[in-house]
Amino acid sequence: MGDLQPIQLQVLAAILFALGLATVMARRNLFFVLMGVELMLNAANLSFLSWSRTMPGAVGLEGQLAPIFAIAVAAAEACVGLAMLLSVFRSRESLDTDAFDRMKE
Amino acid sequence: MITQVYFWIFSIVALATALGVLVSRHPIHAALCLIGTMVSLAGIYSLIAAPFLATLQILVYAGAIVMLLVFVIMVLNSAKDEHTPRWDAFGWAALAPAAATAFFLLRILLGADAARSFALRPTDPPAARGTVEALSTLLFGDRIGAWSFLFLVVGLLLLSAVVGAVLLAKHRLDDPAAPSTPRPGGH
Repeated sequence: MGDLQPIQLQVLAAILFALGLATVMARRNLFFVLMGVELMLNAANLSFLSWSRTMPGAVGLEGQLAPIFAIAVAAAEACVGLAMLLSVFRSRESLDTDAFDRMKE
Repeated sequence: MITQVYFWIFSIVALATALGVLVSRHPIHAALCLIGTMVSLAGIYSLIAAPFLATLQILVYAGAIVMLLVFVIMVLNSAKDEHTPRWDAFGWAALAPAAATAFFLLRILLGADAARSFALRPTDPPAARGTVEALSTLLFGDRIGAWSFLFLVVGLLLLSAVVGAVLLAKHRLDDPAAPSTPRPGGH
């Protein structure tokens, strides 16, 4: 065991991404779908950060700027997603993804 | 060496709690597991010399996004949703493409010699770390660069997302028949 290698971080990010993808696709409850999306976004951020540490100087730091924007987009996504979940739950009284098969109520 | 020890602790916690999100029964358990993932990822970020991102991860993800999720789960207290099974045949079948994604990602990562030839840069000069000072110099240092323009765009995106969320979550804005008086102590 020597220093931390970027490949270790990449493997962790890949497994986290797959777990998030499994949560999105396999679970029926809408809350779990949103949480799976958050997990996938986090895995992408981890991948960004660990590759950025392999680049020299200012290029490496610019790689740390991209996750800031990804976090902001994730906040906007959670905000709108939860509002949609609330409005759709009011009309259907259910959280099953199969209940939401129409775009217009 | 000590970095490796911390990395293994954080990554095992992150993977275990992410697995907890996948298998837990009630959404509130999954949300608490998600907080564990976020916090251990923040630890990994600070291991690879990104202290500002680690702070942002805890503030925005664990503090704001998951808090919002927990809030909505508690507001809709029928979130347990007894009607739908936790797993059905489609759910089991959907695990296969996720496993295939993991398999191919890992095969590409571990199979390529180029991926192994990279090494993490030393973090000895403080300018090489992702501190607030270094990142803000990059963001706002030169007049109006691409990054600061993107920053303004993200501000607009967040504003429109909040307005859209209010419009979506409100009942019907222009329906006079809808009860418009808020419930006592309503949200």
